[in-house]
Amino acid sequence: MPHAPEKRSNAPVFWLLFGAGGTLSALFGVGLILVTGFLAPQGIGISADALSYENALAFTQNGLGKAVIWAVISLFFWHAAERFYLTLKDMHVFSDTGRRLLTYGVAAVVTVATAGLLLAIGFNQTM
Amino acid sequence: MSERRPYVRPMPRDWWAHRPFRHYTIRELSGVTIAIYAAVLLSGLVALLRGPEAWDAWRGWLASPASLVLHGALLIAMLWHVRTWFQILPKTMPKLILGGTPVPQRTITLVGTSVAVICSSALVAFVLWRPF
Repeated sequence: MPHAPEKRSNAPVFWLLFGAGGTLSALFGVGLILVTGFLAPQGIGISADALSYENALAFTQNGLGKAVIWAVISLFFWHAAERFYLTLKDMHVFSDTGRRLLTYGVAAVVTVATAGLLLAIGFNQTM
Repeated sequence: MSERRPYVRPMPRDWWAHRPFRHYTIRELSGVTIAIYAAVLLSGLVALLRGPEAWDAWRGWLASPASLVLHGALLIAMLWHVRTWFQILPKTMPKLILGGTPVPQRTITLVGTSVAVICSSALVAFVLWRPF
């Protein structure tokens, strides 16, 4: 009798998202907040024009720019989701399904929504 | 007939709110601020899609005192989250043995934190010296 295929766990896929999010935020999080929260909006060391609509659009319509934005937003959400899920579990708040929806569910929705926004913004035709 | 009555160490439901676990709980909750920062970026993406006026309104908010206070808080939380991340790293990774001797936890934390400082500094330097 042939063996039924081994049921594989989907956990490693999520560990990859958590690990990538944790590492990305650990390595570049402080630099990112400094750039987008202080230097660019205040025009410190960067021309005040850097955040103009045209520049922001050009960055977002670039394939590499899209990849960076998608990775940062979605992976940061996955990392926060894992930390928050485990803390809620420790605190015994909500049911396990509720906790998963509130954390991993939100991260999944944000991942898809960010991809949708990036596609809607489109690609630079001149590239 | 004897009944087995093992000792069960009492564990209050709010153990996470008391020492020594409180420190860990606060550390873990600082991770939520990373999602708040990502949400700020996401709102910028929505503004960009809606057009130049929405984008300029978002940019105006980003330069406002309220945004500065928020980003100040996010920066402090991120700094602490990163520092504790590399303090936890040697405790969660397999023991690292180089040349027959285990690498001390302090060294792993120091190397990890240094790499993070270099990466974040490189990002800021790249943005500052890039001709816009």
